[in-house]
Amino acid sequence: MSTILACAALAAVTVAQDSGDTRNSWTVSADVVYTAAGEPIEGGLVTVSDGKIRSVSKGDGGQLECYAVTPGLIDLSARIERDWNSVEQSNEVTPQMRVADALDWFDESWKREARGGITTVMVNFNDRNVVGGMSVVVKTAGESAKSRTVKADAVLYGAIGSAPSSNNHPAFGRPDDFYSRRPTTRMGVEWEWRKALYDAAAAKKDKTRAVAGTSELQKALAGEFPLMIQAWTTQDIRTAVFLKEEMEREGFGSPRLVVDAAAEAWREPDLLVRSKTAVVLPPFTSLGRTGDNSFFAWDTAALLHARGIVVALSGHGSREPSQGLAYQPGYAMRGGMTFDAALAAVTIQPARIVGIDARTGSLEAGKDADLVLWSGKPFEPTSAVIGVLVDGRLVLDPRTSTK
Amino acid sequence: MNAHHLTARASAILLGAILLASAAAAEGKLAIKAGKVIQGPGLPDIDKGVIVIENGRIAAIGTDVKVPWDAKVIDAPKLIAFPGFVEAHSSRGMDRPNENVDPAPFLSVRDSIDPVNFYFEDSLRWGITTINIQQGNNCVVAGQGMVVRPVGITIDEMTVKTNSGIKLSATPKFGMSAATQAQSLRKAFGDLRRHLEQLVEEKKDGNDRAKREALFQGRDLEGENAKGRAMEGSAWKVAGLEMIPRGEIDEKQAPLLALVEGKMAAFFYCGRPMDVHRALEVARENGFLARTTLVISPACYKAADVIAEAGVPVVLENPVVYVESDPMTGAETEIFVPGELKKKNVRFALSSSNTTTESLWFQAAQCVGRGMTRNDAIAAVTTIPADMLGLGKQVGSLEVGKVGNVLLYSGEPLSVTSWVEKVVVDGNEVYDRSKDVRVKHLLEGKAPAGTQAMGGAGSAEKPVCCDGSDAAEHAKHLEEQEKKAKKDKGEGDDK
Repeated sequence: MSTILACAALAAVTVAQDSGDTRNSWTVSADVVYTAAGEPIEGGLVTVSDGKIRSVSKGDGGQLECYAVTPGLIDLSARIERDWNSVEQSNEVTPQMRVADALDWFDESWKREARGGITTVMVNFNDRNVVGGMSVVVKTAGESAKSRTVKADAVLYGAIGSAPSSNNHPAFGRPDDFYSRRPTTRMGVEWEWRKALYDAAAAKKDKTRAVAGTSELQKALAGEFPLMIQAWTTQDIRTAVFLKEEMEREGFGSPRLVVDAAAEAWREPDLLVRSKTAVVLPPFTSLGRTGDNSFFAWDTAALLHARGIVVALSGHGSREPSQGLAYQPGYAMRGGMTFDAALAAVTIQPARIVGIDARTGSLEAGKDADLVLWSGKPFEPTSAVIGVLVDGRLVLDPRTSTK
Repeated sequence: MNAHHLTARASAILLGAILLASAAAAEGKLAIKAGKVIQGPGLPDIDKGVIVIENGRIAAIGTDVKVPWDAKVIDAPKLIAFPGFVEAHSSRGMDRPNENVDPAPFLSVRDSIDPVNFYFEDSLRWGITTINIQQGNNCVVAGQGMVVRPVGITIDEMTVKTNSGIKLSATPKFGMSAATQAQSLRKAFGDLRRHLEQLVEEKKDGNDRAKREALFQGRDLEGENAKGRAMEGSAWKVAGLEMIPRGEIDEKQAPLLALVEGKMAAFFYCGRPMDVHRALEVARENGFLARTTLVISPACYKAADVIAEAGVPVVLENPVVYVESDPMTGAETEIFVPGELKKKNVRFALSSSNTTTESLWFQAAQCVGRGMTRNDAIAAVTTIPADMLGLGKQVGSLEVGKVGNVLLYSGEPLSVTSWVEKVVVDGNEVYDRSKDVRVKHLLEGKAPAGTQAMGGAGSAEKPVCCDGSDAAEHAKHLEEQEKKAKKDKGEGDDK
């Protein structure tokens, strides 16, 4: 099969992220190149120069060799930087907040994601606020904040469900307690959403009603960027879709809805088709139970895909090496998804959802050189990510990786 | 507690009895015709192979095998036959896994295993057919474990081996320090020694307290139990023990004596590298090192040299990849633990991370992904754990004479898209995925009636009224009802 496996000694894996190798031009050859843009190429060669893909063709003898190459994986719900510092406590509705302003570019989680094959992530707000704020799409490795940022203000992110209200209570006892806030119920969360959106729509006619965050809400209503809402359960997915449809009916605009962590989307495929809603699925669990007491059937990804719904998978930034995004397509395949659809769900589909597909998400000439090198058939537990290129830079070196 | 029951068990322990329950074995004959038979580590795969199982044992295996005329046949040309996985150590499937007593070697998981626990059902579903159930890690000296098959609704039906060894822990149990844990371990063996010495002293003094005690408790003092035997074992001895009829030894101490005499296996838990030294020291000092298996957390790869030198096998608690975090910089390094163990020639078995998706098949698959040979990875979940449990000749591979524990996979056994379609245990077909309602539910969530898109606040579909008419009709209907109500009220007021 590959020279990599042949020379693989069993030893500690050192991540070559600090190797100091700053070159960003490579040739990579593999038994199979899965481009996510057409048929796989058997015996393929990917040429990379100055951080961009120059060509993808048949060929061999690359400087880096492996069994398979796929585009770098994209996680739209990577859940990095979701600690308490990322929740602005002054209000429950903070669309004007930008998660980009609070990123710790030195966090270890970037490297963890990168060595798991994830080259691009969207960082969203913690679900403690109803409307968290603006998410940012970044590369998991790179020199500077500027060069790593793929898309600032990619989506307006918020949450529906029990999370934004759980533990909240009216002010009693300690008034300075974080939880002395509203909303305290699902109803309250829904009310906050509608109030924010109606106010933003009203401010369109009466500019004096504009407050901080109004313009972000107005842009989300106009569909300038997606409105991404976390909703695990059926009732919350319905709420999100109905909210979108209500805005349309009122003539406020046509929000592009993306439901994050849509575990129970399998119950409402018709609703998602009808409203052209895209979904980001949470990590598959062993017994189906997952966040917000939802039940996440294993065939969800396959079922939604078959109905023409745009599906992206997510690893939620799990610290377990065996539960990251690189394993999720395998679990989706176990639920009946085809390999091609599963590959798309971690590459080109998430890229399309946030509008970065011209830059990344597939292996095509001119795109960013974000590549994952695999020791075997991608997404099988018997394969490992042995090499990763981000913008042509080697963040995991298949020549020293001993996986 | 039933004294007779206890005594019977105590003698079974002392004899180190292996009971491969024949009651559970199929009396009939079963032939499995598979598309491919993967026999196990080091054995050739057989295309279009046939396995004949008679009386629970594999009677023949190969391509040119005559199927007995009276055999039930599983004709599965598309499936791949594979040996049932062997779990070397698990604390699942029980009521609370630990008794809150420091030395409790007299307890047995037999009294705690719940045969209808979902764990056993899951085990079958994911292909585990032999499980060593041991008490939990939160202990000093815990009770005796046993090997079971995940089949049957009584513990007797499940029993493969009545006593697989005593569980100990070198890691402090909850609320204890490393020092008190060490002290407590030493005390357990010190107490045994003092008890035996006291028995000898009393016997020399003509005191028959121990005998009266034994009779009072209804213990069996006949046969072997009536005889004294000099103390065996390699570590320490109590002189004059031959004077003591074995039945007179306190049954709470007898299992530990069996351990010291080398007649019982030990599963010693080490949660941290430092615990490995303690465990090996206790095992050496008390003469049971040769029968010790360490149950180690991934971090213990750091003690691989010491483990290798002691020559003991290990059960690796999951996960197979250990993430070391530098305390100064926070930088993470991934260490593939089985690789480290292999380098030092430590014999290891893998164990399940969860009962389903990350059970033994997944652990082996991950090892392959990290560069281990397929043969080595499969051995670590089949033949090696079988050897550790003293069942190397019974289970772990598909060979003539071994127990008929066979999995039928829909595809390559270590692939994420393969399913265990059928499971045969002791020659009985005990699992069929097409009849597995729970896995169906997990795989194909079905929307309960009434939850399909029915329309809501902004629905493009027409919401339906309580009587099935559409929303516009419904609004009119409500309006009319309201009017009627007002009218009724108005009329009421008039009167």
